[in-house]
Amino acid sequence: MPETIAVDLAEYLPILLFLGIALLLSTAFVILPMIVARFTGASKPYANKLTEYECGFPAFEDSRGQFDVRFYLVAILFIIFDLEVAFLFPWAVTVFDMGWVAWGAMMVFLAELAIGLAYAWKVGALEWE
Amino acid sequence: MTMLESLLVVLPELILTLGATDLLLVAAFSNKPDLGRRVSIYAVLMLIACGLALLGPAGNGGAVFGGLYYADAFSTFSKVLIYASAAIAILMAPRFFDRRGEMRPEYPILILLSALGMGFMVSSGDLMMLYIGLEMQSLAAYVLASFMRQDTRSAEAGLKYFVLGALASGILLYGVSLIYGFTGTTSYQGIGAAMASGLSMGELFGLVFVLAGLAFKISAVPFHMWTPDVYEGAPTPVTAFFATAPKIAAVALAIRVMFDALAPATDAWQQIVIFVALASIALGAVAAIGQSNVKRLLAYSSINNIGFALIGIAAGTQAGVAATLSYMAIYVVMTLGSFLCVLQMRDAQGRPVEDIASLAGLSKSQPALAAAFAIFMFSLAGIPPLLGFWGKFLVFDAAVAAGLFPLAVIGIALSVIGAYYYLRIIKTIYFDDAAAPYAPANSVVENGLIAVTAATVSPLGYLLVPFLALTAGNAAQALF
Repeated sequence: MPETIAVDLAEYLPILLFLGIALLLSTAFVILPMIVARFTGASKPYANKLTEYECGFPAFEDSRGQFDVRFYLVAILFIIFDLEVAFLFPWAVTVFDMGWVAWGAMMVFLAELAIGLAYAWKVGALEWE
Repeated sequence: MTMLESLLVVLPELILTLGATDLLLVAAFSNKPDLGRRVSIYAVLMLIACGLALLGPAGNGGAVFGGLYYADAFSTFSKVLIYASAAIAILMAPRFFDRRGEMRPEYPILILLSALGMGFMVSSGDLMMLYIGLEMQSLAAYVLASFMRQDTRSAEAGLKYFVLGALASGILLYGVSLIYGFTGTTSYQGIGAAMASGLSMGELFGLVFVLAGLAFKISAVPFHMWTPDVYEGAPTPVTAFFATAPKIAAVALAIRVMFDALAPATDAWQQIVIFVALASIALGAVAAIGQSNVKRLLAYSSINNIGFALIGIAAGTQAGVAATLSYMAIYVVMTLGSFLCVLQMRDAQGRPVEDIASLAGLSKSQPALAAAFAIFMFSLAGIPPLLGFWGKFLVFDAAVAAGLFPLAVIGIALSVIGAYYYLRIIKTIYFDDAAAPYAPANSVVENGLIAVTAATVSPLGYLLVPFLALTAGNAAQALF
């Protein structure tokens, strides 16, 4: 009977979407850099052009080269306290409406951050030598 | 419900939070020798305390904090498995790291923090809670992957895991934002109610993105590409941890999202899950054949096993969920056992070996270890009468009961292909010309754990089947 044979293709939309997105995402990461490279200039490589620029590190050299990770550590610690303040502002505006539970929650949060800082300090993450 | 009652329901998470932060201070300020082992012991005791806490309100307290957090039979079942595998991952670590002098107290602490995130994942009743739990688990895992920071492979594994994990989190979060935008709520119940009137295009896109993000976390095809590299590069105890606890948490989370929030859209996610399940089983079975590194092989094995677990979810029924939970419980025991055996693969100087060819002749030099290895491989291949067969039987039974005959037939056919590479290991152990013998396996803790897991997986394990069926059934019922 025609009614049973005719399949409503719309039913299969979710799987089509899923496959499409899976395909898109996995190809995008391969193809995008190639396309960008194609459009961002003529391909005439020479030694100076192939060296890294600005803050890049040489890609192919002895991995024991000096590489200062201290900047990253300081940046990460900065982000933690940056976010803490970002949480504190909206909390400070509403804490008097929300009562002691809100106060306690923020104090627990601050205490946890303090423990993290104490740990980082003690293991020497803050020392610049 | 008062604040105190609510806090009692989240008691395991409280224990882990206070315990992990406490141990962190101990790790930084204590000068005691062998600190790594001491902290490990405390960490295991804390995980046991969390398990005991589940006997109280934390095991069946219901929804607290306005439906953000659920404590029911489902979360309890998952948490017991998570805490147990986390504890074993801690116990198997000291000797592995000791050789390089890297048994730092941060290892058990990171495992505790990861387990804390997993507890939130399996108890989540809200997309925000889901994301916080997932990130807590993942962030600790990224650090664990690169725990041996002098080792380039470990550092590479950590970086790769971090970059791809961040990408997956982004995809998931995008889906969450779409679902929130189109339903106006982030609570599972609210989303379920909003979708009951029909699935809009925006909700469908959100669903697809959320499933893609979750598929990454359980390393299901087509989002599995990170698994072999990370499993190979990460230190072996960490790999054992990755292959067990986070998998349970992510599968449980996926079940809760699909059957709680996305229940009205069952037809939509069912086809995705069927595709992902079959693709995972097929790729896990075929790609593992050419591997020569045992950790890489076990990575493909875990992709393969996740596919089988997903068949239970694909059935979309209560029996299917119970089957998936049982499957995960059995899978965890088999996987932990396999990795404990891999830990015993050390050359005469005590350096870890990962080459499958080096297993040759193990049946003569260490017959007990060889037998245990064979039991785990036979069980992973799903060969009766070992317990691995029962898990596969349950998921296929659920799929057939739900009318998904083609799925079951293809799955069974592919599981035969998958059996090949497990059997190849057994052939290497028992029939190949002897290679250089390993250092003797003399760790009491590790040998004891191998004996317990091997006994559980052996036909003796069928004594546990009624208990497993009862608890998994109760857990599944909590969602329906």
